[in-house]
Amino acid sequence: MKTDFFFQHTKSTIAGLLILLVQGCGTSKIVIEGQYPSPNVNKIPLSIGVVYAQELIDFNYVEYSEIGEEEYSIKSGQSHRDLFDALLPSMFERVVVLDSVESAASQEVDIVFLPRIEEFQLALPAKTKLDVFEVWIKYNLRINDSEGNGIADWILTSYGKTPTRSMRSVENSINQAAVVALRDFASSFALGFAQVPEIRLWLSQR
Amino acid sequence: MSKLKIYNLFGPNLFFVFSFLLLQSGCTSTTVDEFRQGQTGIATDESVVILGRRQGNEYETREEFVGCVGDRVSSGQDAITVIPEREFVDAMFPWFEPRTAPMGISNLERLMADELVAEQMEKFGVRYMVWLDGFTETSGRTGSISCTAGPGGAGCFGFGSWEDDSSFNARVWDVKSRQNVGTINTDASGQSYLPALVIPIPLIARVEANACSRLGDQLKAFVKGD
Repeated sequence: MKTDFFFQHTKSTIAGLLILLVQGCGTSKIVIEGQYPSPNVNKIPLSIGVVYAQELIDFNYVEYSEIGEEEYSIKSGQSHRDLFDALLPSMFERVVVLDSVESAASQEVDIVFLPRIEEFQLALPAKTKLDVFEVWIKYNLRINDSEGNGIADWILTSYGKTPTRSMRSVENSINQAAVVALRDFASSFALGFAQVPEIRLWLSQR
Repeated sequence: MSKLKIYNLFGPNLFFVFSFLLLQSGCTSTTVDEFRQGQTGIATDESVVILGRRQGNEYETREEFVGCVGDRVSSGQDAITVIPEREFVDAMFPWFEPRTAPMGISNLERLMADELVAEQMEKFGVRYMVWLDGFTETSGRTGSISCTAGPGGAGCFGFGSWEDDSSFNARVWDVKSRQNVGTINTDASGQSYLPALVIPIPLIARVEANACSRLGDQLKAFVKGD
């Protein structure tokens, strides 16, 4: 009888501790979500085909704690698709979403755009001792002509930060910083596209 | 509960300590300096846009503070039309992002040469662009509070205090004449207390709120040319 009682309580105590342990060690999952405005820039007279590679949609960054445990998992999700949907139609005469690079010729586009995330960095106030959440995203933007020849490999780094707020969760703040970084990317892309030396040269030779 | 009951409950010393703290909690000292460089005035069909500077590495002017100053300027008897920051920045995208926003009046002059930008600005009827830059810093945290819970109830005991210092400046640009017409600086500071005798009683100095209201009032008078 006494043994039963002991086991019964030991089991429930262990179960309780396990629940607490799992809750304490759980990874916070964040899928970047935001709204992006269309840019006020003059349209470039080009037809652009964009390929959203699966790795861009599936992109997942994991931030580890100081003891090496997964702390935050940040997924790109549909955020880049939403961003380019707002950005590209205001920048180019015609935008076509391509399934693959090979379908460019049949869609009669002038250039093919393949965006890719090369690196993602996160800085948390708990680690930097600053009152801001910071996000850096390094992109590799590949631009080909319709025949698949490379025009430019444009490396663009964007940055976003958001101040800490007492009524906002860490997850929400990270998302906000990432959205600011995406906006920063959009502004650099919109204003810098025609200024990239290789693209400028290609445009002048058309 | 009457004053006498509170007096009897806590005793004479604690009663005076609480009264002193309650009086102190309302005390925030605020200084406003104005530096005028040009004539101002605004027509009824013209508006003001108030924007926060976000170029600094270690801080950024909080959206809430910018919104608070905007609300102050756009309310009251002599209210001025203020365009919400988010609406303006989105409509002008990508020209007013942290990396691309004009840092000086000469940059604004160059920006206004762009047809699309000038058109949007005209649509909003922007006469004055106000750049807010600053932050609130908390320092001098002292004291400690401990809370316990048991079968008989829960309670806290202790005392904590801290100081808040706000420092903001507002640069006013006349979009019509492309001139920097002046700067308003606001500094506010105040001590907050958190005594806990069973229940924590926060006695918060409204430092940023005071900086906002004083800056908003001064800005409104400045733009109107009073």
